[in-house]
Amino acid sequence: MKAMFIAIAAMFLGAFAHADEARLQQLLQQTVDYQSNEAQLDKARQAAFRSDLAEQQRLLQQAQAKLAAERQRANELKQAFDDNEIALTEKEEALRMQVGNLGEMFGVVRQVANDLQTVLDDSLTKVEVPERRADLAILAEAKELPDLQQLQNLWHTLLQEMTINGQISAFNAEVIGVDGKPVARDVVRIGTFNALTSDGYLAYDSELQQLRELVRQPAVAEQAASYLASSAAVAPLALDPSRGALLTMTLDSPDLAERIEQGAEVGYIIIALGIIGLLLAGWRLLVLLSVGSKLARQQKQPDQPSEDNPLGRILTVHQNLPHNIDSEVLEARMDEAVLRELPALERGQSIIKLFAGIAPLLGLLGTVTGMIATFQAITNFGTGDPKLMAAGISQALITTVLGLIVAIPLLLAHNWVASRSKRLIQVLDEQSAGLMAEVLERQGRG
Amino acid sequence: MQWLLDFFNQGGPVLYGILAACLLLWSLILERLWFFYLDLPRSNRRLAEQWRQRSNFDSWTARKIRAAIISRQRQRSQTYLSAIATLIAICPLLGLLGTVTGMVSVFDVLAVTGTGNARAMASGISQATIPTMAGLVVALTGLYFRARFQRLSERGVQQLTDLLVTD
Repeated sequence: MKAMFIAIAAMFLGAFAHADEARLQQLLQQTVDYQSNEAQLDKARQAAFRSDLAEQQRLLQQAQAKLAAERQRANELKQAFDDNEIALTEKEEALRMQVGNLGEMFGVVRQVANDLQTVLDDSLTKVEVPERRADLAILAEAKELPDLQQLQNLWHTLLQEMTINGQISAFNAEVIGVDGKPVARDVVRIGTFNALTSDGYLAYDSELQQLRELVRQPAVAEQAASYLASSAAVAPLALDPSRGALLTMTLDSPDLAERIEQGAEVGYIIIALGIIGLLLAGWRLLVLLSVGSKLARQQKQPDQPSEDNPLGRILTVHQNLPHNIDSEVLEARMDEAVLRELPALERGQSIIKLFAGIAPLLGLLGTVTGMIATFQAITNFGTGDPKLMAAGISQALITTVLGLIVAIPLLLAHNWVASRSKRLIQVLDEQSAGLMAEVLERQGRG
Repeated sequence: MQWLLDFFNQGGPVLYGILAACLLLWSLILERLWFFYLDLPRSNRRLAEQWRQRSNFDSWTARKIRAAIISRQRQRSQTYLSAIATLIAICPLLGLLGTVTGMVSVFDVLAVTGTGNARAMASGISQATIPTMAGLVVALTGLYFRARFQRLSERGVQQLTDLLVTD
């Protein structure tokens, strides 16, 4: 500090060395004054610094005391935390022990809710009662114990479904028609088995959760209308106990026209063969029956031969001959006449027999072509899906069925026609000469 | 009685066809039995009686009349024989028809339920097997009579031929 003053004084001395004496005196005086001032200030500052030191030491002591207090508190808190940790473990253990059975119940509730949801989604009752008290989706997905209200709702829903199951109820609902448009209809639900309208049975579509009209009704569908119209206490009704599965199955199974269609070309050929064969047989049978009745009449009056039947024509042979003709010539002429009659009687028989023989063979042909189609399907798609093979197998079986169905009546018809014509031919061949001989004897020409 | 109903229910519709064929076959067989054992000998004797009252047996007309009598009797004795033969031939065919319709229903079931459900196929399979068995049984029992009647008819005609003396 002094060095500074000296330095400053030296500067002044250097700068103003050539200044006045008085001014120098004044400067000296000022310097002394400044110096004393400075000293006083210094003293004051030192005093301030000293008092500051005491204050700072007090603050330090205060802070140290605070730190110690906080450390003490931290220890206490840690102790408390540890204690709480132990207590918590104990409590959790106790909770686990006490939850015990309830935990099992939670699993059961979840499972029941899940099962019930599946059942209800597939159940006919869904249409009538779409909203249930219990929110099954939440219960089935729940991660924690359901509360009492939820449990009660589940119980009520179960009871409700059980009650509805046993009821026959009539209500109005939207039914999807065959054309795909929803129509409001009066529906009667029989338990969970089937739903009916006056038109017949309905199917339940579990995806749309709506009732749907069947494209085709089963054979017993009229029963539904009469059941709905009946006011008796007990009325008959056909039910599908499998809740619609059998119903769709019977509707999927092809009807007669579709069956015939499955037979394809071979099937049509067989049917055509059968129709032609039966028409032919019918025609031949009519011809033979009419010839047979004329022939029987002629047999009773052999002496009046008529030209409208074969026997009559044979018997007229001898009338056209001279009376004293040799018997051998007469016989030869008669044989000729018989031979002329035979083709007309035997006509058509061989074709009927041919058709009766061909029909099962065509059936076999259809079977083999059907099997070829089946094996083609197996080559292309493997054996995984039997439905892909169904067309070929259907053809194989249907053509065999058709072949047999055609062959059996044709065989019977052929037998009938053949035995008829054989009988007539026997009469002409073996008995016409005898008849003529009787006539000759009666005329006294024996 | 109940088992019979069950049998027909299991056998399906074709079994009724076989039943009809069987009834027809057996009524024809019974009719033929009656004819061959009671009717034919009597009518043979009557015809022989009438024949013996003739004045001559050896003329051309006599020979023709005799042939006609024998032919008529042969016709009578062969009535229904071909019908019996046809029915016997048809019964196994009906059985086969039943087999195929049964297989059709088996494949219908297969198409719906897949191959896993053997019990669902059982009805089709009994429809396939029972008519075949029934058809064979009916045909086999008929076969004996067919052969027997053929012989009986020949014998009856032969008997008549012997009875109609020619001198």
